[in-house]
Amino acid sequence: MKKDTLILSFESSCDETSVAVIKNGKEILSNIIATQIKSHQRFGGVVPEVASRHHVEEITHCIELAMDEANVTYDDIDAVAVTYGPGLVGSLLIGIMAAKTVAFAHNLPLIKVNHLAGHIYSANFVTDLQYPFMALLVSGGHTELVLVTAPGEFHTLGDTRDDAVGEAYDKIGRVLGINYPAGKQVDQMAAVGNDVFDFPRAMVQEDNLDFSFSGLKSAFINRVHHADQVHESLNKDDLAASFQGAVLDILSNKTFRALKQHPVNQLVVAGGVAANQGLRKRLKEEIEKRNLDMELVFPPLRLCGDNAAMIGAIAQIQFDQGDFADLSLNSDPSLDF
Amino acid sequence: MKILAFDTSNKPLSVAVVEDDKVLAHIESTEKKTHSVTLLPDIQSSLADANLSIDDIDRIAVADGPGSYTGVRIAVTVAKTLAFTLNKPLVGISSLQLLAANGGDGKLCVPLMDARNDNAYSGVYLNKQGEVVNIVEDQHITMTKLLALLQKYDEDKLEFINATQRLTDLIREKYPDAEIMSEEDSLPDATKLAKLAEAAEPVKDIDSFVPTYLRLTQAEHDWYEKGHKDDGNISYVEEV
Ligand SMILES: [Zn+2]
Repeated sequence: MKKDTLILSFESSCDETSVAVIKNGKEILSNIIATQIKSHQRFGGVVPEVASRHHVEEITHCIELAMDEANVTYDDIDAVAVTYGPGLVGSLLIGIMAAKTVAFAHNLPLIKVNHLAGHIYSANFVTDLQYPFMALLVSGGHTELVLVTAPGEFHTLGDTRDDAVGEAYDKIGRVLGINYPAGKQVDQMAAVGNDVFDFPRAMVQEDNLDFSFSGLKSAFINRVHHADQVHESLNKDDLAASFQGAVLDILSNKTFRALKQHPVNQLVVAGGVAANQGLRKRLKEEIEKRNLDMELVFPPLRLCGDNAAMIGAIAQIQFDQGDFADLSLNSDPSLDF
Repeated sequence: MKILAFDTSNKPLSVAVVEDDKVLAHIESTEKKTHSVTLLPDIQSSLADANLSIDDIDRIAVADGPGSYTGVRIAVTVAKTLAFTLNKPLVGISSLQLLAANGGDGKLCVPLMDARNDNAYSGVYLNKQGEVVNIVEDQHITMTKLLALLQKYDEDKLEFINATQRLTDLIREKYPDAEIMSEEDSLPDATKLAKLAEAAEPVKDIDSFVPTYLRLTQAEHDWYEKGHKDDGNISYVEEV
């Protein structure tokens, strides 16, 4: 029988400090997440220097809680994994330095993990992944369609040409007077409003798989500003519904275009925007409408945002492949697949 | 007592392993290297040079700021994680006190870090028989204010440490004959850090150990300027 593998994993790429203990890439023994949202809400968005300072405040406490909750000692741990990019350089460095220090102190192998790969493998806690599978990665920093052909083998099919989808939510949220992060509230307003403004669906007709949200964002902002100038009052729920309607059309159009080119049995939706109820509903309906025999995989809400559990899931594959880093590991803020 | 000491507060890096008065290992670098890349390998080689394992170390010492925000965070994160994960005593020493330790015996040392626009991080320390006693607390200060504040001290006893050319020019305007230590002699020295740390109290709560930045972030500064106040009940970071 194969021995269990326990990986102590770290994630600090943006404004969450997270440490987890993961068993065999499949089972979460602990997943401590310290979020800084309340701090950055003061400034309307993540301030990198503030984020870095909070990570230093939190890091050892998170390790302690993760080890305690998993009820393990360092003797039980087989490897240390850490996000090394993409993300904010100052934030990434805290997780990296802490992870390297623990690996050094306890003589454990070190695994460097791509944050995007981590998001996709959050699905590993929900289902048994079957290769190849398609992943739609949607978050505040990323909007990508990725074909995963084998464990740890990623092929980017489409990317955003401007704003990430979550970023677009935050920007139009500001116009609606919603505090950062705006995604959840816009989603709730969209659920009660109607799509009446007919905002543009960028590149829906084009044959590539790239995304663009800046045209939509500008159309939204212009519409609101115009209304302000002529003292016209617009229904905010309708605005939210119209924005979200366009976003879902774009995401769904590109996703099913990709699935037509690369038929697979599983569609994984990951990243912070995977928590969006409108998106969940829409993709489910589209699959039914098209009569596709395909499993739609959404990670539980807690695993959609940034967390170290997902880092431990992909790290297990790298552990099995002997893909280790050394103590000179540095951050790579613009890392891609 | 075997002490592992390191500093990456600014461009230089210094790592040392010291036992009582014996330097067992010492690695220094002034080239422009990335501290995040080199610090742990340098700690590893220092221990190898000293023929010790990390488990043999009795105390971790780190220069905890002020300095480059990122630089100080790198050393502080490694130090607190090391002390926490191996359950070892941790001592934080002011990065300015460490510079002051380069000064002569009996001198009133004024360590400086150029903070641009004629500002500096500075303080005043009295060096006497190996002790480096704080006289004026570390602060972020304009050079005009600093030089005014130094007026009450005997000019002959002052020694300026780690002044850039610009800071040197400003000091010379007021004190043409000031004793200003060369850049080379001003470098932070982890063997001196170990010595300072040997006499100091270890931190009580490793989790809450953070760098001494001496400055708010710009975003926080602007936020308070607008009249905002912290709500005493709000914790900005929450476990979820
Ligand atoms: Zn993320």
